[in-house]
Amino acid sequence: MQLRLIALFAVLLALALAGCEQQPNASAGAAPPMSVVVGPVPGIGSPPQGQADPYANDVLGMAQGRKLFVWYNCYSCHGGHGGGGMGPSLRDRVWIYGSSDAQVFHSIAEGRGKGMPAWGLKIPQSQIWELVAYIKSMRTPQEPEPPR
Amino acid sequence: MLGRTGKIAIALALTVVVGYWAWPRLARTAEVSSRTARTTQPPRGGADPAFNLISPSPHGEWSLPAGDLANTRYSPLNQINAQNAKNLRMIASLSTGIPHGHEGQPLVVNNTMYVVTPYPDYLMAIDLKDLNGALKWKFAPNPDPQSQARASCCDVVNRGAAYGGGKIVYQTLDDNTVAVDASTGKEAWRTQTGNVNDGETAAGAPLIVKDKVYVGNSGGEFGVRGKLNCLDLSTGKILWTAYSQGSDSDVRIGPDFKSFYASDRGSDLGANSWDQERWQRGGGTVPGWISYDPELNMIYYGTGSPGVWDADLRPGDNKWSTTIFARDADTGDAKWALQIEPHDNYGYSESMENILIDMDWNGRPRKLLLHPSRNGFMLVVDRQTGELLSAQKFVDSTNWASGYNLKTGQPITDPSKATHEGTVVSGICPASSGAKGLMPSAVSPQTGYLYIPAENACMDFDAVPANYIPGTPFIGALVKMDPGPGGFQGELVAWDIKNQKKAWTIRDKFPVESGVLATAGDVVFYGTLEGWFRAIDARSGQILWQFKTPSGIVGAPITFLGPDGKQYVAIYSGVGGWMGSVAFQDISTDDPYAALGAVGAMAQLKQYTAAGDNVFIFGF
Repeated sequence: MQLRLIALFAVLLALALAGCEQQPNASAGAAPPMSVVVGPVPGIGSPPQGQADPYANDVLGMAQGRKLFVWYNCYSCHGGHGGGGMGPSLRDRVWIYGSSDAQVFHSIAEGRGKGMPAWGLKIPQSQIWELVAYIKSMRTPQEPEPPR
Repeated sequence: MLGRTGKIAIALALTVVVGYWAWPRLARTAEVSSRTARTTQPPRGGADPAFNLISPSPHGEWSLPAGDLANTRYSPLNQINAQNAKNLRMIASLSTGIPHGHEGQPLVVNNTMYVVTPYPDYLMAIDLKDLNGALKWKFAPNPDPQSQARASCCDVVNRGAAYGGGKIVYQTLDDNTVAVDASTGKEAWRTQTGNVNDGETAAGAPLIVKDKVYVGNSGGEFGVRGKLNCLDLSTGKILWTAYSQGSDSDVRIGPDFKSFYASDRGSDLGANSWDQERWQRGGGTVPGWISYDPELNMIYYGTGSPGVWDADLRPGDNKWSTTIFARDADTGDAKWALQIEPHDNYGYSESMENILIDMDWNGRPRKLLLHPSRNGFMLVVDRQTGELLSAQKFVDSTNWASGYNLKTGQPITDPSKATHEGTVVSGICPASSGAKGLMPSAVSPQTGYLYIPAENACMDFDAVPANYIPGTPFIGALVKMDPGPGGFQGELVAWDIKNQKKAWTIRDKFPVESGVLATAGDVVFYGTLEGWFRAIDARSGQILWQFKTPSGIVGAPITFLGPDGKQYVAIYSGVGGWMGSVAFQDISTDDPYAALGAVGAMAQLKQYTAAGDNVFIFGF
């Protein structure tokens, strides 16, 4: 019961705040509505959260992802084989911005707060998916050129 | 048949069992492993000083990064001596709240201690009259968060502040030099000196001489163009900029420029010694320390490695990377330059300390500059002319070169260790992190020794083609480091300057990444990556006292007189930096190439220490 009251209060508060924020927009007139839900993990827009990597488990795609990982200097921040450095490790089980294929795609495409560049407008989507395939292959038997 | 899950479970179980078995065995090897034979131990007391100090530090205070202008890190205080050091105890400790590499050192001016934290680069003022009370103030410069991922490998460190004209001056990671009123904590001025979006950052400590502030940039790993800026202390206005590459006018080379060696003479070498326009991304940054000679009115500093580590991408000598510069302190005009590694193949950044002393050299009084080099050679230079007087190995495993030709100033390199695209060259010593890192040595006129914090690591170097993408690293090398030979990775080397050889050394499991402090009490202080803070006998190297701080030490000790007239010593405990970053949680140990190859040598560090954020003060 108490929880429901709190939830109701939260909804009312959110509506009230939304109302406050909309006022300047309303007076400006032309701003488009923002209706995309942002959950605890940042990242919005297409492809949808559930989309799987077209290169998942594709040996050639993973190998190509490894090449791109070096070609685009990813290794200099995230470690020669993704173990981290200036940027966080991609080999551990900590995924600050989510571990699904689509979430990793978003992190690469949109960039992240502490200095991860946004690659979405710099490289083709297919290459981002190849990078995702390589990153997801780390620590698995399919990992191309595993570190030794 | 086992499924994949089953195999992973077995692998995990094995890891746990092996880890449990290995733990106590590893822990035991953390002890000091050995000490070489003591050779020339100078007599205690009474003897003439081995050399003369050119700018003694102010009695009882620590107002400049190295204590004095000449970068000796030698204090005339002697209340703590070799007899009583064993009685040292912790007087105070406090937390900065920022668990990253605490490089550099605090300042002590007018009974106040000033601490600069790693990013977000807070400046904290601590009242020495009330150590356990409230902070006097805390200044927050609010640097651009993007600068965190531009921090040259691999941590958001800051190497400290300088005091002058009532102001504390330091750099923030996002390329601002800020001056803060030392008594009120209010910002006096702020000057932007670089562009963080291109990967340029600032972590080096300024030097203040009279009415001028000297600051260098960082970001050599991002294809940044190195430079030194001179600012007006009262207004923050940039008075001049001296670039590490480009035309002679950009480098501030004019008619006064008289290098000792022919290879360092010629017009526009900062551009002509590169292929096409590659000098524009040529590295040679200035993240280290700056020294000053009051008599010659000259400043001295070293520049970092050339932009992109893949040497095949940049034919030529790549001047003025890996260079010691001597400049007029007022005009910035270069007096001489000495390039230490033309066409560097290994990422050896020579931005470390240059220590200025006056000393008899082969029977003749000379003005010397001591540069314990990243590349493993202890360079002794005449600081009036730039002549190289001595270059002996201070880390035995050094093998990229066998020595230097003192007639030409050139290293005698081993061609089998040259790096090229398409071949993995293994067993290069030292590793890119160097025979020593950026944390500085100290020197004592009472012993004639230079105390060098040293690393013994080697590497496999795989040069790969690199694309320049602004704001991302420009490295072009897959590096994997390994512990050097001999079963130790760190040393505190006592270098006998006059006899050009090691007097003794204290060996440690991990690289020594701490700075060093020498005192007139014949006690030398330094720390280890496991977190031990040590007082050692300046003459014999005997460990007189040690205290285990909670995190690895990558800062430099200072000493000062408290309000009660008693001598104290302060040190940071907070692991980080390059080799030290391997202790961080977000670096995985199953990739030896991680942290630009440091994990290969340092994977065990996580078992000994973790991130910390403490300031310790010791005394009686």
